[in-house]
Order: sequence, then structure tokens, then C-alpha cells
Amino acid sequence: MEIAVRDLLFERSGRRVLDIPELSFAAGTVTALFGPNGAGKTTLLRLLAGLETPLSGEVRLGQARSARERALVSAVAFQEPAFLRGTVRQNLTLGLTLRRVAAEEHAARVQDAASETGITDLLDRPARALSAGEARRVNLARALALAAPVMLLDEPLAGVDRPTRRALLQEIPRLLRSRPVTALIVTHDREEAFRLADRIAVMVDGRVIRHGSADDVYRAPGTALVADLLGYTILEVAGRRVAVPPGGLRLGEGTGPVLPYDVTQVVLVGDHRHAVGRIGTAAVECRLGETDPVPEPGTRVQVGVERSVEVDG
Amino acid sequence: MSDFGEALRSAWHLLAADAEIRGIILRTLAISGAATACAMLLGIPAGYALARGRFRGRTLLLGLVNTGMGMPPVVVGLIVWLVLARGGVFGPLHLLYTPQAMVIAQFLIAMPLVIGFTTASVQALPGALPDLLRSLGAGRLQRLWLLCREARLGLLAAVMAAFGAIISEVGAAMTVGGNLRGSTRVLTTAIVTVTGRGEIPQALALGIILLLLALAVNLVLTLVQQRR
Repeated sequence: MEIAVRDLLFERSGRRVLDIPELSFAAGTVTALFGPNGAGKTTLLRLLAGLETPLSGEVRLGQARSARERALVSAVAFQEPAFLRGTVRQNLTLGLTLRRVAAEEHAARVQDAASETGITDLLDRPARALSAGEARRVNLARALALAAPVMLLDEPLAGVDRPTRRALLQEIPRLLRSRPVTALIVTHDREEAFRLADRIAVMVDGRVIRHGSADDVYRAPGTALVADLLGYTILEVAGRRVAVPPGGLRLGEGTGPVLPYDVTQVVLVGDHRHAVGRIGTAAVECRLGETDPVPEPGTRVQVGVERSVEVDG
Repeated sequence: MSDFGEALRSAWHLLAADAEIRGIILRTLAISGAATACAMLLGIPAGYALARGRFRGRTLLLGLVNTGMGMPPVVVGLIVWLVLARGGVFGPLHLLYTPQAMVIAQFLIAMPLVIGFTTASVQALPGALPDLLRSLGAGRLQRLWLLCREARLGLLAAVMAAFGAIISEVGAAMTVGGNLRGSTRVLTTAIVTVTGRGEIPQALALGIILLLLALAVNLVLTLVQQRR
């Protein structure tokens, strides 16, 4: 189901929160709404789900236009999983009852969603007594059980421990791609955005400033702002503004331009070291290879720009 | 102690043999029950709106509700008397000294209690629940019902507090009901009457009946409240 937004304006307490002239997500795509906190990602998600009313503009999920219609064709996994009193099974069944899914389908739907998300053994536990990781999975299962054509996930990995996060990073893309859904995933984490989605929509200050396939967005961020959010280091090289991806700088002279690098610190990051310092006014971290000499903090060394893309702004 | 024993025997005798007392008991239950039901019908949605709504004057309204929770019943009775008296706004309805007038007064006493308890119990629910229910497909009335079910501990506490307050009040019942025998006499006003006549064991017996009545109703509500 295609998702489309046109001339969308949304304000909260007189402050413009969203301003999106046109945006669409093709049916069957999985897109990460990526950007810093306060960019309007969750607000856009809530508008799509029919939980907010725009100041003006059109929001459409397939043919569903009204808030109520949009709510009924979408399934939301909220950032903070909330449950009603009762068991996990009762919580998963509630949505099916409210959407008038035939009663004889309930058990199978709940069982399928539970086994896909690995929560079968939790079904008869009180929903409000789950750990954070379990609650995340149940939250996801509840959305999957609805079998809605649009899935909206708000920070699905927020607040979970590392093992759960690692597992969910693998499971969520598999679950979304195994069914005919158009999915939007809100995240402020770059790694999550690229691991969970095929497409990225970068949001800043209520606007979508870059939207495309994950590969295209990463290879050609377009502006310094997007590049910065994607983890690039922004530098001035020969009067041009360039964005250097992580690992694109190398101590000593390389194949590209060479720049002076003031080292302030060398830190051990697991199995390798990073030099921390500045190139001009830009804060720069440079990964040191195994054979690279370790520079002395307080010294100026040369770094070669091995990979970079030109950016505006 | 002998007075109390005599009162217990008297209470049993009154319940078993006195048709007038049985009438008073039924009238008491009917008036206080009707007032509580009306207060629930209007007070629960109003409390929900106060808990969930964000509108100008909300804090002032909450302050008024909280003040109303401690309003002396006799003052409420006086206000209702003024409104229903011959020269009052609703004087032409001739409701003064009728059970209906007593229901109105008791409803006004119960209403702030129901609103106040409902507001507090709905506010204590996880803030994300209304949006969750909406996203699951619940309509407005379904959301109200499901949230009230979630807040049932508080809501039934509201019903118990309201019923307990009005079944045991005497000021408003006396002021607007007039304690007319066979018409508006309820347990509390009957206690005042027999105490005035110096029939202390009988007054104690009526008091015991009133307490047992309140206990029975609250036990039923508590069973519903604590049901898993």
C-alpha cells in the first residue's frame, strides 16, 4: 500500500513541527525515517497512523484518508510499549477484536505472530510484568498480528540490551520483508537505519531533506548536513567542501589530498586505536591501522584523504 | 453494652417484623442507588474528560471538583432547597419534599466524588494507552470503556466513596426530603427522629441496619473491584 503526503503542515503550541510539500513511500518498501531528536519523525509517524491532525495538507495510506481509516489500515509499534491488564495473549487478541477480525482467526494469528517474534512462551504471562526486551518483542508481535498493509515502528530498538538489539536487528528486516507491507521505521541511530531499512528518508527540523535508497543516500548525501548525520567528516579541501566517510582518512600520505592534522589524543577502541584531533576547525577522528605509527598527542601530522564526496552547504 | 445487645435484638426484630422499616430500607437504597447511578453516568465521562482533556479552565474546574468533594451535605441540601422551593427557579416543578428532590441533592453530593476519583484513576493509567487503543482500532466509546475497565480499581473506589457518603448523610436528606413518614423518610432521618424521641435502642438498631447495608453494598463492589 502506497503512503503519500502532500502539502503537509503540522504545528504544536504555535511552533511549526512538520513542513513536507510532497513525500511518498512506494508499496512494499521498508524505509527508515532517520534524523536527530526533534526532527519530527515520530510526529510524522503519528500523523500517518491517524493519531494527530495536520494543520493542513493531505495524508493518504492507499485510499485511506481520514484519521480513522488510516488507523485501521496501519499497525503501530510505539516507542514505549504499553499494555492493558491481562496476559500477552489477551493484549495481542484485543487489536483483532477491535478490528472485527473473525474470532476463529484470532488464535492462529496470535500464534503465528508469537512464533515469528519468539514470544510463544510469554503468551500466558501478565503483559505488564515483561522485561524491556520481552516487551519490545510483544509490541512487535501485536503489530504483526494485525496483518495491516502499513507497519509503523517507532524506535523499535530503544532501551533494549545488546543481545536483544543484535537479535532484533536481524529479525525485524526478516519479518518485514516476509510480508507484503509498506513499513516506516523511526530511528535516530544511523546503524539501525541502514540495518533495518532499504530506503532512508533523512529528516531535520520537520523537513525531509534527503530520500532515496539506502545505498544512494549514503554514497551521495548531497549536503553537508546529511553527510554529517550519516557519520561523514566535513572538511574544506582545496576550497571545496567535501565529506569524508568513516575510514576515509589515513595517517601519512595517501592517494588523495594531504592535510595537516593536529592530534590531541590517541584512544584505544577495542582492538584498534583512534587518533582524535582537528583539521583546521573540524573535529576529526582517524582510525589507525595495525602498522600505522602511533602519533604523539600535541603533534601535527599529515593525513591523506583517501575517499570523499563533494557536498553543498 | 446492654443497650447494644438490645439494639442488635431490636435490629433483627425490625428487619423481620416491621414493614415500615423494610420500606425505609428499600427507599434508602432506591434514593441513594439512583443518585449514585446518575453520578456515575455523568461523573465518569466528566472525570475522563478532565483527566485526558487539555482545555482552558481545566485546573480551575479540577479545583472546584476537589472542593466539592468536601462540600458539607447540609449546604448542598440548602442550595437544592432554595432552587426547588416555591419561589426558586424550579419551584413550579413541585419537587421539594419528594424522593426526587433527595436524589437530586444526593447526586450533587456524589458527583464531585465520582469525578475526582475518576480523574485521578484515569490520570494514573499509562499515558500511552489511549493512543495505543486508537491505533488498534478502538472508537471513542470503546476507548472510554476499555480505559474505564483499566481504571476499574479507582472507579469502583469512586462508586464506594460516593454511595458511602450519600447513604450516610442526613443534612441534605432532611432539608430537601423533610423526613415525611412513608414518603421521604430514609434510614438516617429515621435515626434522627427516633433519637429525638429518646428511643436510643431503636436508633442504635437502625444505625446497625444502615451499617450492614453499607457493608453489604461495599462488599459486593469490592468483590467486583478485586476480581482478576
